[in-house]
Amino acid sequence: MDNIIRELRFSLRDPVVALTLLVGVLLSAFTVFSGLKEVDTERAQIERVKQMVDDDRTYALADQSDAGGAAYYAFHFTYAPPSDLAFAARGVRDDLPWKHRIRMLALEGQIYETDAGNPELSRIGKFDFAFFAAFLLPLLMILLLHDLKAAEVRNNRWAFLSATGGDGGRLLLSRAVLRAILLFACIITPFLAGVIVSTASLMSAVVVCAVIGLNLAFWLVLSLFTTSRIQSGPTAAALLLGAWFTLTVALPVGGKLMVEQSVPVPMGGEILLTQREAVNDAWDLPREATLKPFYERHPEWANAEPVSEGFDWYWYYAFQQVGDQTVESMSEALRDGVAERDKAMAMIALTSPPLLVDRVMSQLAMTDIAAFQSYDQCVRDFHAALRAFHYPMLFGGKEYSAEAMKELPTFRPCASNS
Amino acid sequence: MTEIALKADSLSVSRGRVPVLSDITFDVSVGEVFALLGGNGAGKSTTLLTFLGFLPPRSGSVTVLNKPVTQNVEFVRQKSAYLPEAANLYPHLNARENIKYFLSLAKVPRSASDIEAALDEVSLATEARGRRLSSYSKGMRQKVAISLAILRQAPVLFLDEPTSGLDPVAIDEFNQLITKLSAAGTTVLMVTHDVYGACQIAGRVGLLKAGSLVGVFEAPEGGQISPEEVHRAFAEGA
Ligand SMILES: Nc1ncnc2c1ncn2[C@@H]1O[C@H](COP(=O)(O)OP(=O)(O)O)[C@@H](O)[C@H]1O
Ligand SMILES: [Mg+2]
Repeated sequence: MDNIIRELRFSLRDPVVALTLLVGVLLSAFTVFSGLKEVDTERAQIERVKQMVDDDRTYALADQSDAGGAAYYAFHFTYAPPSDLAFAARGVRDDLPWKHRIRMLALEGQIYETDAGNPELSRIGKFDFAFFAAFLLPLLMILLLHDLKAAEVRNNRWAFLSATGGDGGRLLLSRAVLRAILLFACIITPFLAGVIVSTASLMSAVVVCAVIGLNLAFWLVLSLFTTSRIQSGPTAAALLLGAWFTLTVALPVGGKLMVEQSVPVPMGGEILLTQREAVNDAWDLPREATLKPFYERHPEWANAEPVSEGFDWYWYYAFQQVGDQTVESMSEALRDGVAERDKAMAMIALTSPPLLVDRVMSQLAMTDIAAFQSYDQCVRDFHAALRAFHYPMLFGGKEYSAEAMKELPTFRPCASNS
Repeated sequence: MTEIALKADSLSVSRGRVPVLSDITFDVSVGEVFALLGGNGAGKSTTLLTFLGFLPPRSGSVTVLNKPVTQNVEFVRQKSAYLPEAANLYPHLNARENIKYFLSLAKVPRSASDIEAALDEVSLATEARGRRLSSYSKGMRQKVAISLAILRQAPVLFLDEPTSGLDPVAIDEFNQLITKLSAAGTTVLMVTHDVYGACQIAGRVGLLKAGSLVGVFEAPEGGQISPEEVHRAFAEGA
């Protein structure tokens, strides 16, 4: 106990250590704080846009006298609310859309017309707690440890320390472990404060602490191993930075290139264009060309008399759906490909502790590819429900009425821990 | 019969592949001051490091308080205080904090007044004691290291050029201090190139040349070793 207190006071008096820890706690607090603010902003934005879209819809529906017009003018706001842990790991949330304005037209085009948001802002948004804990933390660790022994040797203290304490190696090991623990505490404290503020689950917080601890332990062991072999501080630092670069930059970038090469995936833009072309071309085709594939998909309406008042809405919506059908396989290939690439990247992440931290955290925060795909599925299910609601009025002769429209499905976000 | 505290027996030591000490034999009695003299690179520091268990003998042996060093490193370090050459204590701590830190490391608790007394003995200005060592001169740092060695109250002192950087007054004080400690039973093995200082306080002076002990001078009963004689031997290459 005395030894711990002695070394604690000793380390905290060391300007390099104190400054590094200060940087650690400030960066951690900054990322947590800006993450919490970002989540608040998103929630407020969701509230506002949802209200706006809902009001617009009510307003638009008041004027409608048929199912076709009602489906055409009624927009729905779909979104994936940020999870309670989303403040800590933005994941792909800034790169892939998590909100849409959807109506019953062809869906694929609406999905892939990405809501790019503000690309400048999203890059700053990337500097989140997960990024800090995964990728920058090792640098602080290297800063704290690369010169631990070398400085003692350089200053003629190494033999003196060992002669005085009996075992210099053990002393330096305890100093290294203590510094790692201090750094861990500096990083974790703001995060835990964020967890309390956001009421995120304690279980996920524990897992986050565990993976960050693992990351730290990895760099601790690597630093100790390197400095035990390399007598010069700068050389040890260079080697450790090399390892850092390999594990945090070269491996994911190289891995991504390799995975993208080996798993080809159609572009969302391609799907959008193909679907739009299919819809546009349908105007000039004989109706048969559209209705045949539509009724093949929906045999239940094949023998019914479609509602043909005013503009022939049923035909219009049939070719919207056939537009989706044309790109169905592309869209599936895109989703499968993205999932497969993600699986490959998960394997790569197993070889690098920083990548693993980043992945585990965005998984827990539901800001990873899987969460994005489940939101995508959620939108598709909702759109399918819209079609299931309107089709009887378009293709099956069910009567349109304001009363009936009260049953119009409303979007509810799918599974989220929020 | 006097008791032997330190003993080097046909000791040879290499650093890397280079033989540094060859076939050295000497012993130091309890309470004796033994000074090793020699030029730069003669192997003086190497001798001390071997006694402290940092360098293994290639052949021969070293013992401290009758225990072979190789098998009793912890014991030896516990029983001895070591003053390294050009001691650099921690620059971000002041004199008192440095001393407290190292005493705690050595597990020898000393009171604040003990520490002040030790700093008084080396005449470190009171005003300087609360300042960080980064602002100290070489001599002031050396004084802190010496007071630390005293505070250990170890039976054996290994001193590597303890007076380097000290002014003449401080050197005199240091010599008196060592004489006092030796009279109280502390065994001192010190390494120096200060021929006159060594002859003044040492019971015996060993002359080390290129890793060999080329001569040992002993003080006559109640007198001192003649520095001229040692100096001559030093210059001639014995
Ligand atoms: N760390 C070391 N590694 C290899 N050789 C060393 C080392 N330190 C000293 N030496 C060599 O050992 C010899 C004796 O050095 P040392 O005992 O320090 O001499 P002295 O203290 O008498 O000046 C010198 O030739 C020196 O070059
Ligand atoms: Mg030397």
